Amino acid sequence: MQLITANNISYTINDQKLFHGLSFSLDHGSALHIQGGNGSGKSTLIRILLGISTPTKGEIKYMQPNLVLSYLGHQNAIKSYLTPLENLELIFPKAQFDNAYSWFKKLNLIGVQDETTANLSFGQQKKLALIRILANDSDVIILDEPFVGLDQATRDLLAEYLKLRVSKGASLALTSHIEPGFNCHALVLNGGAA
Amino acid sequence: MLTSFIHKFSAPKSYVEMTAKLLPYIASCGLLLLLTGWVWGLAFAPEDAVQGNSYRIIFLHVPASIFAQAIYLFMSICAVMSVVWRVKLAAYLIKSAASVGALITFIALFSGSIWGIPTWGTWWQWDARITSTLILFIMYLGVITLHGSFSNLEKADRLMSILVIVGLVNIPIIKKSVDWWSTLHQPASITVSGAPTIDPSMLYPLFVSILGMGLVLISLGILSSRLHILGREKNKKWVQSYE
Amino acid sequence: MISVMASELFKLRKKIRAWLGPLLIMILVLIAFPLSIDISQYDLNKFYFSIIVISLLVISFLATETMFVEDFEDGTLEQIYLQERDFYKLALAKVLIYVLLIGVPMSLIGSLFSFANGVDASQLPQIFITLIFSTLLLFNLFAFGAALSINKGAMLGVLATLPLALPVIILLGRAIRAVQFGNGFYEIMALMIGAGLLVAALVPLVISITLRTHLE
Repeated sequence: MQLITANNISYTINDQKLFHGLSFSLDHGSALHIQGGNGSGKSTLIRILLGISTPTKGEIKYMQPNLVLSYLGHQNAIKSYLTPLENLELIFPKAQFDNAYSWFKKLNLIGVQDETTANLSFGQQKKLALIRILANDSDVIILDEPFVGLDQATRDLLAEYLKLRVSKGASLALTSHIEPGFNCHALVLNGGAA
Repeated sequence: MLTSFIHKFSAPKSYVEMTAKLLPYIASCGLLLLLTGWVWGLAFAPEDAVQGNSYRIIFLHVPASIFAQAIYLFMSICAVMSVVWRVKLAAYLIKSAASVGALITFIALFSGSIWGIPTWGTWWQWDARITSTLILFIMYLGVITLHGSFSNLEKADRLMSILVIVGLVNIPIIKKSVDWWSTLHQPASITVSGAPTIDPSMLYPLFVSILGMGLVLISLGILSSRLHILGREKNKKWVQSYE
Repeated sequence: MISVMASELFKLRKKIRAWLGPLLIMILVLIAFPLSIDISQYDLNKFYFSIIVISLLVISFLATETMFVEDFEDGTLEQIYLQERDFYKLALAKVLIYVLLIGVPMSLIGSLFSFANGVDASQLPQIFITLIFSTLLLFNLFAFGAALSINKGAMLGVLATLPLALPVIILLGRAIRAVQFGNGFYEIMALMIGAGLLVAALVPLVISITLRTHLE
């Protein structure tokens, strides 16, 4: 069952064509690994799937009403002047806070929960940002280079989590130059039609 | 038929081709009319009973003031077309219109100051019309600066259109409020002789000057927009094979 | 909506220099003015209100210039877009919180300094209300400027929106005159409150469109 379909999409910016004629779908219970060299438009394609950017041609359709998307890109969307715990409180309403906090513990962030987030390492900040994905029961998960900056243990944790969610019916699309470690369909962008 | 004409006209390629043919005519007509109006007004129209010969600056000042505001109206129409119907040509035209608009508003202010010296004894006066025109000048500069600040040109176009539309809503507010404010600060001396009291022998050269200046400004706008469009569309095939 | 406002309040409270800074600068400016004038020669009272008005203008701009930069640069705007699909609630909440946390204290400071203008204690509440609604108007307009220029620096935002702020300044000047001379105050206040509420409801819509344009 298709959750999001992309129909013949092209993207041009400042008169440079990034890609054209792409058609694919994000399906229930399947994972899509978007691959391509630097500058091939992977992040742009992600933003188009999210509905943030509009394709120059073609269209994206959300096949179900009220589709819940969760996303993590290059930016962490956390406030550097707050503590990790305060960030968590901002992101998750009371009902989901306990679940988020249990992931917080699993990721070994308890020790730094009252530090200012700006003082955390790159990897720790990324782990905090990941909780948005881990503690969210969304229909579609979209990730842009999720494994970068994580230690091996956390990478395995994330890969296990994603595998589990996909098997339970979520749809996943990700870009990653690091192999995800589980089965994915591949979509390769190489400066033209896929 | 009208919609197909608009569609055809609004393709940048047709605009550039059409203006290539029309521009020489528009420009030469405009210059001819403007020079006629000016020579007529400067040399042949009679002296003003009150102001003597110094009133003759109106042949520059009045057309300039009229177009300072008319161009903003034109920009707003383009902005609406750009934001609502995503007409690309409209977005291209706004930038050129803003440059021409800024220029003519400056000329209006400058010529108004020159007129002020013999009439008021001062080159500046904080009255309603001058202040509104000065604010209009700043608005043009704001639009130009905004567009120039963004490297993603499609984004720059949209932001510029949003600002122009917001500014349009602001113009009547500015006029009303500056008018209201200036009732407190009465200009010390004579106000300019208004249109109803102007003599026909001065009115006709004025009309001719207005018409002439309009065409000249349109030509300037066309010149500027053609350059702009060719630059923006430079990767398209029709530009690369353009003579 | 309440939760969005609560989050924005929480965040702004924590960024102390974002709200305390403008207030301290306003106090400095209001102190600096009489220092720059030889009081024995000029009637300070006549000009002092002008300084309160100008400092309100400048500090309103300073306070709002980085309103949206942070959310734009750390990816929060995208996350909000995924949940809400527009930024009306965010813009409305941010502006209201900024007015509450910065605009109201500014109005208080301005009212207190108006004592230097020989103002009667009985007129203070009127001046305070006038200043509050002026900050409501100014913060909305400069927030629009901040949304336009986002991370391109302050100058762009102010150049684009100062023409919008000038009618507010004229209105404020008139209102203060009405307080001083005791006539027409309620009419002007009605105008100001009406304009303030209208602007506060509509400008976040324009801000939302502008932020959406930046994201694309």
